[in-house]
Amino acid sequence: MRSGQINKVAAEERIICIGCPMGCMATLTIDDKGQMVDIAGCKCKQGRKYVLEEYKSPVRVLTATVLTQGSAQPLLPVRTVTPIPKTKLAPGMMALAKATAKPPIKMGDVIISNLLGMGVDVVATSDLSF
Amino acid sequence: MTLQDVDVAVIGSGPAGMAAAIKAKETGAQNVVLMERAEQLGGLLHQCVHNGFGLLYFGEDLTGPEYAHRFIEKVMDMKVRPLLETMVIGISRDHEITAVSGKNGYITFRPKSIVLAMGCRERSRGALNIPGTRPAGIFTAGTAQRFVNVEGFVPGKKIVVLGSGDIGMIMARRLTLEGAKVEAVVEILPYVGGLIRNEVQCVHDFDIPLLLEHTVIQIHGERRIEAVTVAKVDNNRNPIPDTEREIECDTLLLSVGLIPENELSSMAGVELDPVTGGPIVDEMRQTSVPGIFAGGNVVHVHDLVDNVSWESELAGASAAMFAMGTKWPETWKIALKSGRNIRYVVPHTISGERELTLYMRVGEVEEGVRLKIGGIASKALRVVKPSEMLKVELSTAQLKKLKRGTKEMVVDCEKRADK
Repeated sequence: MRSGQINKVAAEERIICIGCPMGCMATLTIDDKGQMVDIAGCKCKQGRKYVLEEYKSPVRVLTATVLTQGSAQPLLPVRTVTPIPKTKLAPGMMALAKATAKPPIKMGDVIISNLLGMGVDVVATSDLSF
Repeated sequence: MTLQDVDVAVIGSGPAGMAAAIKAKETGAQNVVLMERAEQLGGLLHQCVHNGFGLLYFGEDLTGPEYAHRFIEKVMDMKVRPLLETMVIGISRDHEITAVSGKNGYITFRPKSIVLAMGCRERSRGALNIPGTRPAGIFTAGTAQRFVNVEGFVPGKKIVVLGSGDIGMIMARRLTLEGAKVEAVVEILPYVGGLIRNEVQCVHDFDIPLLLEHTVIQIHGERRIEAVTVAKVDNNRNPIPDTEREIECDTLLLSVGLIPENELSSMAGVELDPVTGGPIVDEMRQTSVPGIFAGGNVVHVHDLVDNVSWESELAGASAAMFAMGTKWPETWKIALKSGRNIRYVVPHTISGERELTLYMRVGEVEEGVRLKIGGIASKALRVVKPSEMLKVELSTAQLKKLKRGTKEMVVDCEKRADK
C-alpha cells in the first residue's frame, strides 16, 4: 500500500476495523503531509479499504431526539439522512437541542434542513400524529 | 371476526411478533391477531432511536422506529388484527389464551395455533449480587434508554456502565451526546459483550474508558448512588486485591445480559432449553407443544433484528400451516447436539428434509476455526466470539448426505490444522 514518494513519518494512527467480528487493529503510518503511507494489521482487502476511508473521512449517522410542542409524546426521534463527519456530532446535538417539532409530523419530514450548512437534512424517524 | 374464529394468535408485537403475524397472513391464515400490552405496535424498537437496523433484511441502514414503521404498515395492509393494551396472562396446553385489557376486560379464546413472540428482558442488579447500599440511580440500560429516548429524562450526569452489551454501549454514546459524562464502561470479560461496531462507534469514538477484566465490587451512597468501587479480576473472574479504585458517579447502568421471557411458555407446558432460556424448537419453530410456535428473542437472544424477523417469519408461516390443517410429515427427528466450543444450536431438532438455517453461539473466543455440522457441512471462519451469533445454511443437497435413521448430529467448532 505504499504510494509515491515517502515523506518523513510524522505519526501513527490506530483504527479498529468494524467490517467483521475479527475487529483487526490497523496501524496507519502517516507522513508529515498527513498522507497515509502504510497500513499494517488488516487481514483482508475490504478491511484495508474501510480503514483508509475511516482515516480519510470518518462519518457517522447522527440519531437523537428533539422536543415536541403540543404533543402527547415528549420527544420525536430524528436522524441525519446521510452520515456526517464524526467531528460534527457534538455541534449537531447543539443544533438539535434548539429545535422543536409540532404535530402532525410524518416519518421522513424534515425537522432541520441543511444541518450546520453541511447539506444534510435532519428528518423525523417516526410519525407524530398528536 | 370474533375472537372465537382466530386461526393464529401472536403474542407480542415487537419485530418478532410483527414478522410472524404478517407471514401467517401471507401463508394463508384467515384470522390473525397480534396481541400487545403497550398502546402501540413495535415493542422495543420505538426506544431504539439509533441506526443499524435492517442492514441485512432491507439492505438499508434504518433506525429502530423506521424499522418498526415498515412492519406496522405491512401489518395494517395485510389486515392483521392488532389487540393493543391487552396483556396475555395465561396460555394453556390446549391453546386457550387468557388476557386482560382496559377496553375488553377479561377475555379468553382458543386460536388454532399460537406464536410466542414475547422477546426478552434485561438481567438486573438482583441477578449479580453486587454488595453495597441500595440507593436510587441504578438502572438497566434499557430502562435508561426508555427514559432518554421516549420519556425525555436524562437519568444522571456522571455515569458508569457495568457490562458491555450492545444497549449499554449505545446508551454510553447516547448519554454522552446528551451532555452526561460517562466515566467508564466496565466489563468483567477480556472482550466486549456487544458488537464490534458498537465498541468502536459508541465507546472509542467518544474516548470513554473501557475497563476490560474489571467489575464493580461495591456500590456507595445512601439516597442516591455516589460512587462505585471497581477492581480488576483474575482468570476466574474474582476481584484481585489492591486493584480496587473508586469511581464517583450519580448513575449506574447495567448491561449484563438478556433473558428470554418465557413465563407464559412454561404455563402452556412448553419445554425450555436451560442454555438458551427459550423453548426447545424444531426447524419449523414448533415448540414441544403441538400448535405452539416461537420466534425471535423468546427462543434465543439475537444480536441483529434482521435475524429476529427472519426466524419469526418461519414461526408465523408454520403456525398458519398448522391452523389450516396442513400436515407436515414427521417421519424422523434428528437432534442437534452442541459439540466442541458450541454453546447452543437452534433449532434443537431437524427433519433432514428441508433446507434451513442453523443459528449458533460459541462458548469461547477462538481464531482459525471450522464449524463442522455432523459430517454433512462445514464452514471455515477467521474468528468466532460468544457475542456474535453464527449462521450456517444447510441445503437439501447437503441434507441428502444424512443416513436414514440418523438420530443425532453433533455441531463442533474445530481448530483448523493450518492455524
